[in-house]
Amino acid sequence: MSSESPGFFRQLPSALPGLVLIVITMMIIRIWIEPWMAHTKIFGMSKPLTDAFHLNYILLGIMSGMLYRNIIFGGKIPDMLVDGFRLSRLMIKTGIILLGSLYTFSAIIKLGFMAIALISAFVVLTVIMVLWLGKTFGLDRSMTAVLANALSICGVSAAVATSPAVEAKASHVAYAIATILGFGVLTMFISPTIGHELGLTNMQYGAWIGTGILNTGQVLAAALAFDPQVGPGTALAVAEVWNVMRVIAIPFAVFAVTLWYWAGKDAVDSMGNRQSLGSLLVEKFPVFVIGFMAMVFLTSMGTFGDVGVESGHSPSATIMSLRVTMQWIFGFGLVGLGGFIDIDELRQAGGAPFRLGLVVGATKYVAALLVVLLLKQYFV
Amino acid sequence: MANEEKFGGEETGDAGMGNKASLFKDDRAEDIGAIIITLIIVVAIVLLKK
Repeated sequence: MSSESPGFFRQLPSALPGLVLIVITMMIIRIWIEPWMAHTKIFGMSKPLTDAFHLNYILLGIMSGMLYRNIIFGGKIPDMLVDGFRLSRLMIKTGIILLGSLYTFSAIIKLGFMAIALISAFVVLTVIMVLWLGKTFGLDRSMTAVLANALSICGVSAAVATSPAVEAKASHVAYAIATILGFGVLTMFISPTIGHELGLTNMQYGAWIGTGILNTGQVLAAALAFDPQVGPGTALAVAEVWNVMRVIAIPFAVFAVTLWYWAGKDAVDSMGNRQSLGSLLVEKFPVFVIGFMAMVFLTSMGTFGDVGVESGHSPSATIMSLRVTMQWIFGFGLVGLGGFIDIDELRQAGGAPFRLGLVVGATKYVAALLVVLLLKQYFV
Repeated sequence: MANEEKFGGEETGDAGMGNKASLFKDDRAEDIGAIIITLIIVVAIVLLKK
């Protein structure tokens, strides 16, 4: 597969048309549509559109990407534009690394113990629940293994990372992705409203969605939809620290589920070609997390000036520029993400894997909210 | 999703984006690409703000 790829730089010129469309879309949203919605009230509503529906450039960006794919282009991004949309994952990862400029080690350590304890508990309990329900629902072991990590960690990357170790077919991974997306799209849109209705603080909301929502991009979107601000202590900053801790769990969860899978196989099956666990872990570890940690290190060392945390000082000009750049890059990436959400694909994700995903996803989502509400005093 | 023979590779994509949702040959290359772009952005901003 890799050898067939023409390579990033060769494909870059063909990405320009799609990239231009994405950039223009986000500029229109941020310069005209969002400000217009911030002042417009319809049908006698007391609040402007942005407040009434908790809409902002992030959700509008995803919705515009979905609109392009599913309505304007009739279910498929045209070949001329698709390479530009394929840059969206790169932009989201770049945004997440830049996000490291929001954190200092002292802030992570302060938030760390509770986050590590809760995230570990949720990952382990979700894996156990999926493995048990997989048997109950009569699912194939490979499908169950892929779903276990997809639903316990950060969705699609975990599903992809797990699949080669458990002999999963592409259709298993596709099912997991469609299941995660179907559930994730729903939580992405309802979470900000629930958060506001319950009067959650940024810390409480970030902890909830950083644990309860399955996919990195959707955590990001739900955080920014709740509070579009990017800065220390915002919903985005909290949710992404929680989410990054969950991402770091990928190698450990792959290891555990792989052991479960092979432990249940008979000796003859286990003689087939399979990657060694060590090489799998090294190969699948998400390196962009190291970039994020390096960014946190540089910020903690004061390389970019004052971060503007508890001290009350204004952030430095460098930090402010990094944040503005990050917002735009995320905006572009999420228009692209919307362009890969296929309504028909989501509809097709019926059947047992989808039911299992729905049960586990909903349980985790609600349980995470209950835990945050119960431990409210720790999240202020 | 297409390509039944592909096992959990990049054909499957990431972040819910469907098949081959990247211009990079694999996830690792894309991660490194993101780090390089970030580096360029950071250096440019630091130099401009000096």
